[in-house]
Amino acid sequence: MNDTVIRCQGLTKNFRNYLQPPGVVGSLKSFFKREYRTVPAVTEFSFDAPRGQILGLLGPNGAGKTTLMKMLTGIIAPSSGEVRVLGYEPFRRPRDFRKRIALVMGQKSQLWWDIPALESFLLLRSYYEIPPQEFKIRLEEVSSLLGIEHLLQVHVRKLSLGERMKMELMACLLHNPEVLFLDEPTIGLDLVSQRNIRDFLLEYQRKHNTTIILTSHYMADVQALCSRIVLILGGRKRFDGPLLEFEKILGGEKFVNFSFSEPVVTSDSIWSNLAPEWNNDKTQVELRISDHDFRATAKEILERFPVTDMNTEKLPIERVMETLLRKPELLGAVDE
Amino acid sequence: MSNVLQRELSKWTQTVQISSANFLAYKGDVLLQVIGPAVVFFLIKYQLWSSIYDFADAEVIKGYTIQSMIEYQAWVMLVGFISQSYNSRHLAEDIRLGRISSYLLYPFEFWHFHTARFIAFQLIQLSIVAVSVVALYISGFLPSLTLSHFVIGALYTSLIGLLWFSIHFALGILAFWLDETWMLRVTFIIIANFFSGAVLPLELFPDALRSLLYLLPFPYMTYVPVKIFMGVYEGSVLYAISVVLLWITILSVLSRLIWARGIRLYTAAGM
Repeated sequence: MNDTVIRCQGLTKNFRNYLQPPGVVGSLKSFFKREYRTVPAVTEFSFDAPRGQILGLLGPNGAGKTTLMKMLTGIIAPSSGEVRVLGYEPFRRPRDFRKRIALVMGQKSQLWWDIPALESFLLLRSYYEIPPQEFKIRLEEVSSLLGIEHLLQVHVRKLSLGERMKMELMACLLHNPEVLFLDEPTIGLDLVSQRNIRDFLLEYQRKHNTTIILTSHYMADVQALCSRIVLILGGRKRFDGPLLEFEKILGGEKFVNFSFSEPVVTSDSIWSNLAPEWNNDKTQVELRISDHDFRATAKEILERFPVTDMNTEKLPIERVMETLLRKPELLGAVDE
Repeated sequence: MSNVLQRELSKWTQTVQISSANFLAYKGDVLLQVIGPAVVFFLIKYQLWSSIYDFADAEVIKGYTIQSMIEYQAWVMLVGFISQSYNSRHLAEDIRLGRISSYLLYPFEFWHFHTARFIAFQLIQLSIVAVSVVALYISGFLPSLTLSHFVIGALYTSLIGLLWFSIHFALGILAFWLDETWMLRVTFIIIANFFSGAVLPLELFPDALRSLLYLLPFPYMTYVPVKIFMGVYEGSVLYAISVVLLWITILSVLSRLIWARGIRLYTAAGM
């Protein structure tokens, strides 16, 4: 079944802020007379997501990702536009809607800190009205997938960040949500923990066909999980398409690193069209080689220079993001 | 139908359980912030009234002997323990700092959650009060204590606790508009305490002011429960209960309206 679970049309959110001059006088002044300004956070945002898709919502800090997530989960009210999640209007927050979604916030704990996680889970069991039998099965399934069976009875405040994040994920999955919103689920985690969480999400998603909306600043997360990318810059959608297309946004080029056993001649004509970036002692270079010329160019370099190592970048998407954040004009003008 | 009810009930009982566990984790905090100041205040009032009776060289002031005045003040302290300890002081801060987001997502209403928390706190508080009453009785501060007055008084005062909770909830959710609701709360508490008879028994107020006060909830919040505990309340307890229930209803309706408007302004800051 390939139905649409999320549908946004012209979704817009403006925040009203007021400026407060510094100091006591400033705060007194602003108590009586406030200068308001409207800040657009998300503007005319439209997209659909089919069931079972893992969609990566990308953008720099302050681009509007989280605001969009808040609107999709019904935490905040949109200023205008239409949004439907599983057919519900999120901001009306009907109970049936809340039972079918979940939100994990990497920066915010949803568990109670002073009690063992298991007690929180039992509370959630009653909130989500999960039958005891089903609860038991899911508890076992998710905790063994995450490898945290032995930590269920430890006070949450005593867990490491990685362990706590797994508990947070688990808390959100007990009721088997159809749509899972993940706001930077791997933030602050070490590489191994990040990888564990990614592997878990992949496996879980495959099994349950959960629709996942993910934001992350770690491109490895996006690369491993997302089949589709939506890029948001300045509150507007600037790209929407498959991951592969996103990687090729800058044209069909590879970034290739070569290391040499001794300094090489940098004035050689071979380098001139490859935008070389040399290290200080000229024993390493990074080149941009078009997909078309890759075989021939690489072969020539290997033959002519004392190459000790060569690698193409692992995460082209990271460079695409970096370049786009620096030069958003590469995406063309915003279509109003 | 009974199944639905059972499921709802289990949400409440579980929340009450978890909240009690949470409160007990901070029992030192509760002791210091709630009970400490109240005891100090009681001792000050004890000293003050002893000096006043000495200085005035009077046996009876407005119908109170020194003993009954001290007993009045002891009950004021206990009524405070039962009804005023829970002040949802985190509510406003949680709204301002965007910490209520997860509670908006759970399929259990936000105000249900807070009310269940209040009930948990009330249960703990009642047990602390029971111990305090025994201690004060043995020390001779509560000469007119009887079991039946105590039971009626404790039930009535728990209702006052619910009234205070409704007030704090309504004031707390003003945080959708205001950066700081602390001043508002403190001002209200001072005014309410003064006009409720928590500082001076209402007999010491001018008659005109007293009859005016009975149009407001204040006298029912301290003066009436103290008189019930002392076994000298002259009015009808049922009438007092109806008045309190009326005020709770008014505040709940008000809170609903404030919430419905305020939640549209919620920005879930920092999420």
